[in-house]
Amino acid sequence: MSRHAAPRRASTPPPSALPADLPAALTAAGPAPADTSAARAAAAQAITGDGGSVAATGRRRLRRALPGLLLAFVIAAVVVLGLLTRTDADTTPLSPGNGTPTGARAVAQVLEDEGVEVVHARTLADAEAARARLGGATLFFSDPNGWLNEEQLSSLNRSFPSRVLAAPSEPQLLVLAPEILPAGPAEDARGTVRAGCTREEARAAGEITGGGQLYSAPVECFNSPAADGGTGASYAAVGGTVVLGNPGILTNGTIEEAGNASLALSTLGAAESLIWYQPTTADLAGATGPPANPLQLLPDWVNTLMLWLLGCALLAMLWRGRRLGPLAVEPLPVLVSAAETAEGRARLYQGSRAVRHAAANLRAATLSRAAARLRLPPSSARAAVVQAVAQKTGRRPEDVHSLLDGPPPSTEKDLARWAQQLLDLEKEINNS
Amino acid sequence: MAVSGRLVLLALLGALPIVLFPGALPAVIWAGLLAAGVAVDLLLAASPRRVGVRRDLPATVRLGEGCTGTLLLTNDTGRTLRATVRDPWQPSAGAANSEQRVRVAAGRVHRMEVSLLPARRGILTSDSVTLRSHGPLGLAARQVTLPAAAELRVLPPFLSKRHLPSKLRRLRELDGRAAVQIRGAGTEFDSLRDYVRGDDVRSIDWRASARRRDTVVRTWRPERDRRVVIVLDTSRTSAARIADEPRLDTGIEAALLLAVLAQHGGDKVDFLAFDRRLRARVDSGAKANLLNALVRAMAPLEPELIEADFSRIPAQIRSVSPHRSLVVLLTSLDSGAVEEGLLPVLPGLTAQHLVVIASVRDPRLEELRAVRGTAADAYRAAAAERALLDREAVTAQLKQLGAEVVDEHPLELPPRLADTYIRLKAAGRL
Repeated sequence: MSRHAAPRRASTPPPSALPADLPAALTAAGPAPADTSAARAAAAQAITGDGGSVAATGRRRLRRALPGLLLAFVIAAVVVLGLLTRTDADTTPLSPGNGTPTGARAVAQVLEDEGVEVVHARTLADAEAARARLGGATLFFSDPNGWLNEEQLSSLNRSFPSRVLAAPSEPQLLVLAPEILPAGPAEDARGTVRAGCTREEARAAGEITGGGQLYSAPVECFNSPAADGGTGASYAAVGGTVVLGNPGILTNGTIEEAGNASLALSTLGAAESLIWYQPTTADLAGATGPPANPLQLLPDWVNTLMLWLLGCALLAMLWRGRRLGPLAVEPLPVLVSAAETAEGRARLYQGSRAVRHAAANLRAATLSRAAARLRLPPSSARAAVVQAVAQKTGRRPEDVHSLLDGPPPSTEKDLARWAQQLLDLEKEINNS
Repeated sequence: MAVSGRLVLLALLGALPIVLFPGALPAVIWAGLLAAGVAVDLLLAASPRRVGVRRDLPATVRLGEGCTGTLLLTNDTGRTLRATVRDPWQPSAGAANSEQRVRVAAGRVHRMEVSLLPARRGILTSDSVTLRSHGPLGLAARQVTLPAAAELRVLPPFLSKRHLPSKLRRLRELDGRAAVQIRGAGTEFDSLRDYVRGDDVRSIDWRASARRRDTVVRTWRPERDRRVVIVLDTSRTSAARIADEPRLDTGIEAALLLAVLAQHGGDKVDFLAFDRRLRARVDSGAKANLLNALVRAMAPLEPELIEADFSRIPAQIRSVSPHRSLVVLLTSLDSGAVEEGLLPVLPGLTAQHLVVIASVRDPRLEELRAVRGTAADAYRAAAAERALLDREAVTAQLKQLGAEVVDEHPLELPPRLADTYIRLKAAGRL
């Protein structure tokens, strides 16, 4: 907040007026006339200005704000640079335009170099348009998110007789290749698996990187144990459909390992053209055209108003944040209660369960006070004090003896009761 | 420079044209209008750098009494000064209206009065005066902080002076009293008067009785012009609070009462505040103005968080008074601090002077001692008993070394110390 709130203490009542019979000099405790006039003379110097000027103040402020301004400038520069150098790089896994280790630009480029036309389709409509244009093209279909519904899959099934499916899910297989069944994920993602079949492409490749999903089909290659105990194939084929259980072999990162490249090129490069179709959210059922931008529903003046209110908020901060002069400093006094040492000692006793020690203290104090009360010298023996106490209070000497000279209590519970008894005895001595 | 709430309000009103006439134009126009208003205000505001500030402040005030700090604002500009003025007194000065709006016509002087009700003894300060000069439109203001520092010396309240009349009466009763048991070197012969029943027969002056043919007794008056040296301990032990008052403040009350009483008893009073070095000193030379000199010297005293060096106290006392004096040490009887500090030097002091050690006893210890309901209470009672026993032991040791000990509760200490002084004076031991 803007100012230091002064804590108000309950004001002490003004000291009562001096008694009438007091000498006049006593009343001079207040301000003495000589002092006051001297102080007034010293304070009579009028102070005008703070020795500065508007320009000096401005320069000082600027100098003080310079580090903050520099920091803001650096941050702004970094943000602007980041915005300027940002690229719309394709980072979708398995995308033919993605040059990172998870992309598949290498395969796509080699295929293009070999004369295969690679078309990257992002919607079903794109894919079908490309097919209509290119005729008997191979379809590469990768939809790990399952964007396409059954109807769209059937349409795909009708349009492309020859296709390569990258790790298809069970619903996709049901429509596109009902003969191929999923056999779960592969047990071991490392190492390579051997072809182990007579299919030409597989034999040529020899070995490929293991892992991914496994399938069982009429034609199986690259069999490996599945995680759930059975076996399955990384490469399954039926009719014109080829399933690649591990689409990772197509990526830039692993295409050079084992026979990955051979299998990829022979599978994908079978036809003259390849339609590389990776469905996106645009394919979601019912999505027709780009989604409506909710901002467009707002009236025109909203942006201006928001900016204006932001400015108003800044002004309000300036209004409330500008302090009327420096904070008042209060040198705070030390606040230590004198009994704190006793309290601390009590907690030490309690912490270490010093029952005997506490009892000895209580007893010694009672004895010394009783001796003083009974007019016995401080050096008198305990037995003498016990005797005198018994006489004074009329209690039995044995009882007084057990309390004042007997064995002290040993448990905390006894201590409290015993201490109370001591106190009662003391009261009795004082009252009788 | 500062902006006002009015500017923020006007800026918020600017939202209206922005909504009614879409586009950036109304915003730009409105912002331009506001900027123009601010510029006009800044240009037309009276320059706070050309306003003279003069302070008029009582140099001292007693704790518990209010006073008025006056600021005289001289407007040397050619324009009317509309300003918010703040006199930033520290919170314990109890300034009720430290921030005021003033309006001073060109060339005029304005008295701004800040009422103060100090809540603490000591030197209270206000470092500066801040002027915020508003423009005629009230949208923006120019602000300057002027280095016009002020300090107010808040004197100890001397609440114990209510004990003074009764103690003075007792002191006067010593005058002219027949020497009953106090015959000795300490008292001086005063006058002769007729015997009344009850007078000590030993004080009958037979020679005078023979001349007058009536029984005449000698009267004595207490000795005068003795020296009383009050030493106030301002070391760490004086910071401890007993009954929500530091030991130091209780000591100040006791010292004031004793000093005034001793002065009226015709003795010379010197005051020292000491821990490891001298913090304040008032000489017996300040005859008529002793109380004033004392409260002024005591006002800025604060407990210093260091251990007292008692070994230097004999030298300090010797520098004040080379003769036998009544030395009153206002300190604490905490075991440990006393055994290491005071005990070794005490024999040297008591050999030359009459030493009274006055200390504040903590009533809280006795409260703790009397509650024994649970085990925790019993431990607390045991600890309190231990503290009290230690105190007793220290007191006994001090008494053995020839010192008088006054160990009382905070409210009782000043009158008991005064009583001790009267008793010693009556006994002629000064």
